[in-house]
Amino acid sequence: MAARQYFAPNSVDEALQVIGRHGRIGVVAGGTDAVVGHRSGKSPLADAIVGIHRLQDLNGIKVANDGGLCIGALTSYASLLSSNEVLERYTALADASAIVGSCATRNVGTLGGNIVNASPAMDTGAPLLVFDAVTELRSQARTRQLPIAELWTGPGQSVVADDELLVSVTLPSLPPQSGSAYLRLEYRRAMEIAVVGVAVQITLGADGVVAAASIALAAVGPTCFLVDAAGNAIVGRSLDESSTAEAAAAAADAARPISDNRASENYRRQMVSVVTGRAIQVAAARAAGRTVNIPASQRWREATQ
Amino acid sequence: MTIGDRVPRGDGPEKVTGQAKYTADITMTGMLHARFLYAERPRARIIGIDTAAAKALPGVFAVITQDDMLDVRYGFFVKDRTVFATDEVRFEAEVVAAVAALTPEIAAEAVRLIEVDYEDLEPILDVEDALRDDVDLVHAGFASYEQMAGVDRDRNDCAHMTSVKGDVDAGFAEADVVVSARYRSDMSHAAPIEPHAVIAEWQGERVTIWSTSQVPFPARSQVARTLGIPESNVRIIVPHLGGGFGGKCDVHFETHIAALAKVTRRPVKLVFTRREEFLATDKPRHAAIIDLETGVRNDGTITARRAKIILDGGAYSGDSHFASEISIMMLQGPYRIPNLSAEVHTVYTNRTPSGSVRAPGAPQTVWAVEQHTEEIAAQLGMDPIDFRRKNLVEDGDTGQTGQRFDNPNAAACLERALEMAGYGQELPEGEAFGVSCGWWFSLPVASGAYVKLNADGSGTIVTGAQENGSGSVMGMPALAAEELGMAPEQFSIVYQDTSAGPFDLGSAGSQTTMNNGRAVIDAARQVRDELLQLAAHTLEAAVDDLELVDGAVRVRGAPTVAVTIGELAAQAHGGELLLGKGSGQPLPMPEHDASECVGRLFYPAFAHPSFFCHVGRIRVDQDTGVVQVLDWSAAFDFGTILNPIGAEGQVEGGTVQGIGFGLLEGSIYKDGHQQNASLLEYKLQTAIDAPPIKIAFVGGPAPAGPHGARAIGEPPVVGPPAALANGIAAATGARVRHLPMTPERVWESMQATGVN
Ligand SMILES: Cc1cc2nc3c(=O)[nH]c(=O)nc-3n(C[C@H](O)[C@H](O)[C@H](O)COP(=O)(O)OP(=O)(O)OC[C@H]3O[C@@H](n4cnc5c(N)ncnc54)[C@H](O)[C@@H]3O)c2cc1C
Repeated sequence: MAARQYFAPNSVDEALQVIGRHGRIGVVAGGTDAVVGHRSGKSPLADAIVGIHRLQDLNGIKVANDGGLCIGALTSYASLLSSNEVLERYTALADASAIVGSCATRNVGTLGGNIVNASPAMDTGAPLLVFDAVTELRSQARTRQLPIAELWTGPGQSVVADDELLVSVTLPSLPPQSGSAYLRLEYRRAMEIAVVGVAVQITLGADGVVAAASIALAAVGPTCFLVDAAGNAIVGRSLDESSTAEAAAAAADAARPISDNRASENYRRQMVSVVTGRAIQVAAARAAGRTVNIPASQRWREATQ
Repeated sequence: MTIGDRVPRGDGPEKVTGQAKYTADITMTGMLHARFLYAERPRARIIGIDTAAAKALPGVFAVITQDDMLDVRYGFFVKDRTVFATDEVRFEAEVVAAVAALTPEIAAEAVRLIEVDYEDLEPILDVEDALRDDVDLVHAGFASYEQMAGVDRDRNDCAHMTSVKGDVDAGFAEADVVVSARYRSDMSHAAPIEPHAVIAEWQGERVTIWSTSQVPFPARSQVARTLGIPESNVRIIVPHLGGGFGGKCDVHFETHIAALAKVTRRPVKLVFTRREEFLATDKPRHAAIIDLETGVRNDGTITARRAKIILDGGAYSGDSHFASEISIMMLQGPYRIPNLSAEVHTVYTNRTPSGSVRAPGAPQTVWAVEQHTEEIAAQLGMDPIDFRRKNLVEDGDTGQTGQRFDNPNAAACLERALEMAGYGQELPEGEAFGVSCGWWFSLPVASGAYVKLNADGSGTIVTGAQENGSGSVMGMPALAAEELGMAPEQFSIVYQDTSAGPFDLGSAGSQTTMNNGRAVIDAARQVRDELLQLAAHTLEAAVDDLELVDGAVRVRGAPTVAVTIGELAAQAHGGELLLGKGSGQPLPMPEHDASECVGRLFYPAFAHPSFFCHVGRIRVDQDTGVVQVLDWSAAFDFGTILNPIGAEGQVEGGTVQGIGFGLLEGSIYKDGHQQNASLLEYKLQTAIDAPPIKIAFVGGPAPAGPHGARAIGEPPVVGPPAALANGIAAATGARVRHLPMTPERVWESMQATGVN
């Protein structure tokens, strides 16, 4: 058995050199996907492991002049949840961050790891989609920007090249009267994986009519994906039972769920409609300036407590 | 400190500070690592096994198969199993070969190099099919197997039992209404956080085995049998055990690892992965099909019940017969039913062998019976609580084999739990209360302990009992201290070592406090007698005038005339030692008559029965079927509560585990393979899923265990799935007849009932 090599580069350039030589598959950020994947035999660790935890340049949240955010790939869920910008303006991302795994997972797991791991059930995927996030990828040869919607190609698959690191994710600024939510259908209250996940971002016009809307789904297709028809179903309308139901139906229509140990295809599809309707309600409430506790998934559980 | 005080457990600090050593923590010089080759198919004939390539891999010290073992079969009730597969593999994780190598990685690589030529056979997976005469036998040689006297079995049915009372046909003839239903439960797992681990080391003809066993003495006898050596040459030591819940009862891999250690002449270590823990440890809770039919009169009087349970025993019988008999005893449960005809079949299939998970056979049966109870009430248009009030057993009523109940607290538990829960109050939309009642037993069996005093007057308890995390062995010092006028902290405990303590059945059957507690008290009383003799001499007083208080023997009425236990112990070491050995006399079984019943073994009646009631307040998300448990109340009549911290801990843990069995825990099978063999896909409850739990202990001391205590460990897990089921039905109007009641199953039931 070949001995394993371990690298812990101190700068992004050094890291890019190492992965230029040994390939990206050995990159470990928080290791919460990498180690589990190795143990289960699904994705054995590479022979050359590249720990990127020392790359301080990749860690942290910067506020751009226009109010957008630039989030380093190494930023943990715990850090995301300590950012007022994330909590107040990119609330769907906060909803998602707050329900990842357990406290330990949220302290160790990173946004970049979640993105590059490319699970169809990942929790930050749908929120990043509705915020039109743009990723920055770097190799020794080049730096490129890629909209998040173009990043994933299938379960566990992305266009991140073998010599590239994900450096950061930029969330464009949002107009006033915007609100968002991410809701996950879950069977228990921690250490859960999405059965169905829905993110909704809504901007209200002065008249209370929906000026812009974006809806994305998780765990019901080979990747997380936007459903334009669902968002469009509420744009230009006020939010009532019928517009919400139309959007929910469009989302369910677009879902491509599979049957697995967690749920059947049919149940998942039905639940897309339910969860979409609820996510719209929460996003709209937040857009209208009302507070809905984070994570929004808790709302239906605590409704009567 | 006295009986009934809240005493924190002695092993707590070392466990929570990480100082406690578990089996997997042990490393030895020259130690090798073991890995197993599994069948990975539910049923096949073995044509040939080629281990040459594996043996040739550098770093491999041994590769063994059944050819290297004695030709003996083992099994507690039916000797149907060999250590490694012989000729045929019968479930996906049957062990075909074992490797010992320098590292776990090399061992795993060697396992991949073993070539087995199989002829795949059609697996037997449906329990109803398995009972048909024209279906293949899981064990073609079943008729030749040795078995325990009294076991009734034939072909694929390895444990057939009946329970017969009165005249059922006449009973049904008297009924105004007959209600029947079928319920199904999936297999579920004990899922202790510590996976199985074993280390074995030989010196000469003797082997020492460190193992994650819940039952070291019964395991030892099976190891001795399969290795062909006397029990005195097998020493099983259990370091701290990281939970068991029954999944570590019986014998597991001790013999495999001992055999590897013998041929390699090195210590060999095995540590299971979580996946192996699901597939290979072969002690899950039985999947079941439960058919119930009950006749009632319009006034709510039950006239007769017919019932049939089919348990999926899996490939080998193991200790399944406990589940068979307990499940049949749940069919009348705490109710007055004059006429009963019930049977249970425990069926061999090509699945992971089932076994004794905490309260074997009970949660799934009570889940069915208690739903049935409320369905009967609904058919009669009676309130389900009133229906229970009318039918719960009372003083003088008889159980299903005629045992007489002496002031049973069944109704008292019901009323107390309802009261704690605030049952009857108006609840918001989607919320409901769910109720379940049930009963349990205290198991009277032999057990032993020594108590000795050291020269400084401190004490040591040497016991055969096994601490699986419940805290029951940790309670022994309080019992000894009470007899000797000492403090519990003055005692150390030597336990979990078959070469040190006398026999004990192990952590099984909720029996530790009941039987080993009796043994410790018996041993302590001998020491007490010895102390009093010594003191009588020293104080020049009659033994009858002496008392043991606060660490000293003193003359009654003259407390200054005293000698400390320390002084007496020091004296004793110059002469006769202060040593007690005890076992005590197990209480007899209650009078009963099981002569009409077939195949009955250990539980023809329930000794010292206890009763319980759970009331859960739940909320069902009407659109998704997700059930949230908001609040819980449970009442038990456990007799004297020796240590409330321990008793409450068992109720809290059992309730949460029972909620897990009710809502999410179930193995998903496809073509003889478990699909969700991981903690990601097999969902246990997490800490924040646990509801607030209110607990009441009802009734006074019971003539069962030490100081009037009854068995506590298993009963708390029995009732929660049933209470949840009744809550779900109350909240949605739909019955879920498949356990676990996952959100999708709840949602489907609502759809089918047209609730939405
Ligand atoms: C107990 C537990 C609970 C979990 N719960 C959830 C949950 O609720 N929701 C959820 O979505 N996920 C969950 N996860 C999955 C996991 O925690 C997240 O996906 C996490 O964000 C992964 O981040 P990481 O830093 O640990 O990634 P790692 O495991 O370090 O890496 C994951 C993958 O991404 C690659 N990678 C990491 N960073 C970079 C980078 N900057 N550039 C290029 N490639 C990179 C790695 O090579 C690897 O292939 C859970 C995991 C565990 C163990």
